[in-house]
Amino acid sequence: MNKIILIAQREIAERFQNRSFKWLMFLGPLAVLGLVYLFLSTTTSTNKDWKILMMDKKEVFDGKLATNPPSNLEFDFINAFIDYEDFAYQEKYQDYDISVWINEKIVSNKKVIISYRERPPENIQRQIIYLVERRMEEIMVDQFTELSVSKFREIKQSLNFSFKDVYDPKNEKSTTASWVGFSFGTLIILFVFMFGMTILRSVSREKSNRIVEVLLSSVNPRQLLTGKILGVGFSALVQFTVWAVIVGTGLYLFRLTLFPDMFSAGFVADEVAKTDFSYELANQSPFVELIYNQIQYMNMLIFFGLFFIGGYLFYGSFFAMIGSSMGSESDGQQFIIPLTLLLFSAILSGYYVVYYPSTTLSTWLGFIPFTSPMVMMVDLSNGFADGSAWKLILSIIILFGSAFLMMIIAGRIYKNGILRFNHRLKLRMLIKWTKK
Amino acid sequence: MISVENISKYFNRETILHDISFSLEKGEILGLLGPNGAGKTTLMRIINQIISADKGYVSYGGDLIKEKHLINIGYLPEERGLYQSMSVEKQILFLGKLRGLSSTEAKDQMEYWLKRFGIQAWRKKRIEELSKGMAQKVQFICTVLHEPDVLILDEPFSGFDPINIELIRKELLNFKKKGKSIIISTHNMNNVEEICDRAILINEGHMVLQGTIHDLRQQFKEDLFKISFTGNMISFANALWTGYEIIDKEVHSEDSFTIYLKMREGNKINDLLNAVIGQVNITGVEEVLPSMENVFVKSINAQNEVLSE
Repeated sequence: MNKIILIAQREIAERFQNRSFKWLMFLGPLAVLGLVYLFLSTTTSTNKDWKILMMDKKEVFDGKLATNPPSNLEFDFINAFIDYEDFAYQEKYQDYDISVWINEKIVSNKKVIISYRERPPENIQRQIIYLVERRMEEIMVDQFTELSVSKFREIKQSLNFSFKDVYDPKNEKSTTASWVGFSFGTLIILFVFMFGMTILRSVSREKSNRIVEVLLSSVNPRQLLTGKILGVGFSALVQFTVWAVIVGTGLYLFRLTLFPDMFSAGFVADEVAKTDFSYELANQSPFVELIYNQIQYMNMLIFFGLFFIGGYLFYGSFFAMIGSSMGSESDGQQFIIPLTLLLFSAILSGYYVVYYPSTTLSTWLGFIPFTSPMVMMVDLSNGFADGSAWKLILSIIILFGSAFLMMIIAGRIYKNGILRFNHRLKLRMLIKWTKK
Repeated sequence: MISVENISKYFNRETILHDISFSLEKGEILGLLGPNGAGKTTLMRIINQIISADKGYVSYGGDLIKEKHLINIGYLPEERGLYQSMSVEKQILFLGKLRGLSSTEAKDQMEYWLKRFGIQAWRKKRIEELSKGMAQKVQFICTVLHEPDVLILDEPFSGFDPINIELIRKELLNFKKKGKSIIISTHNMNNVEEICDRAILINEGHMVLQGTIHDLRQQFKEDLFKISFTGNMISFANALWTGYEIIDKEVHSEDSFTIYLKMREGNKINDLLNAVIGQVNITGVEEVLPSMENVFVKSINAQNEVLSE
């Protein structure tokens, strides 16, 4: 055991001295945060104030809105129509960012044209639409019905359809939730590939610089292989933890500082509360919803950890096997390609399960160790129906069982292949080595 | 210390080692000789438990050799390998600890050897920054750091300049004095003659010879003698008659010679002396034994002839 720890420690030290490992550890999560920032900033407003000119020639709106607009929106009414060119170039309109044309026949033709100088972010668009629609409802009620505004809104609301699995009726999550699992699964596959390649390189380097013979005179091949896989795996876990902490902290800081409006949902939420029902448009964007509200981080992280470790040990054994049996550095390429394809097919199987979660194939993909780390992450994000948690347990058992088996086989191939040089690696050779 | 009993090894139906047996005694230096591809490295790997034998076994101190015994063995493989990006210090400490030393023991030993080899200043350098000879020294230190009772060294002198060969040779003799046992595989026959007590010779996986260096040379002697004298060369030649064959001569001056000759017809050195005493003034007589190189070449050729038949 002591020797395994020593081997693992050396691997860890080597990783941490490696410049690209350090860069990836910190730049990777920063890049992820950068992407999230880009997504968020396209769907939310900055701190900019928006001045909106309501062109209401017939004074249909009577110079009023249904509710007070949020502080960053300022509405001015004018009982005239200004064409695009005037709005664009006349000096007196230069202060306005947006114009909203309430045409004379809006009650019947339901047309509203909104012109802008700079395209407003999605949430500003939603707020303007919301305010105009609410005011229109008041006008419609006033002109055509005896109903109260709230009753009218209740009638106006469209039917809410929802598809439910009869075996899992409580599962009310949409495919959005599946994508969360898909993202976690993809992360597992990505890390498995990255660190699998690290194992391969580390094994083949020891082989090509011949230190392996020195090591093997002190430790047995299985200890050497186990120490290596554990050491690289520990580095992977540390890297993942750093990623999780940086990305988590970053998202939290985004919420506190850069995009506070998006989460309080400001006046929209207040209005929804007042009117007793909600409209789709009052919802936050699906991406924001996904990141901040739908991911059950604790639950996912525990199983993420388990499937990550299982998947890493399983696939890692394959990488070690190839690394140890290669005749030369380039010789292993022919075996790396199919292995990469297997990893890619795991991602594809996750994609399949997002769309077809209940087919027999999906169930099987959840048990096959090549695809289970990915598929189970998708299933987990959808939640397991009562009485089907056994699938999760069985999948974990199969994965770890296969990983254990693969490590034994990899140990045999490692033992037989590590001291062979300058040969051409053939599948027949690998199969033969597993028997000894 | 170590006993190798009837070891055989096959790769792809090809016999790499066939029924090899020998033993290594305490305080002995054993030369493991053989041409390239004879199976020496395979044999060393089997002793070190890096690969397993298909037949036979290796015992250490009377017990079947196991992983726990490896801590008492220091192995220097022919293909030198070190972690290129690791510093000298870290490399030595890592391999020392892997061979059972505590951190303190490993550090103390490292200090001793760095000083002994005069490479303290290089301790922080990465292996890739060292010259080949320097890296060889580090490798040697890594092999002996844990003070093993048995050293198995595959070509320990290769890559060293004559000064460092001498340094390593002295260290090996020191180990022998301390009662350590050493197996050396080498192609340098001078070293074998100088430091080995015994040698075994392997060719194409078969044991060809084994014995003490003296016995092996005796075994291959050709009744060749070297006589130095002063006097008349013609008188010396006339006195010999047909019982002797002159193989070579060295002329030192007009009347000083060294003659190499072979005995014929069962003649002994005394017969020779009787024949020439009185004719010339003999200054030295010595039997010429074959060098280990001759022993090596002759026995390999003989073995190859047998195998080809």
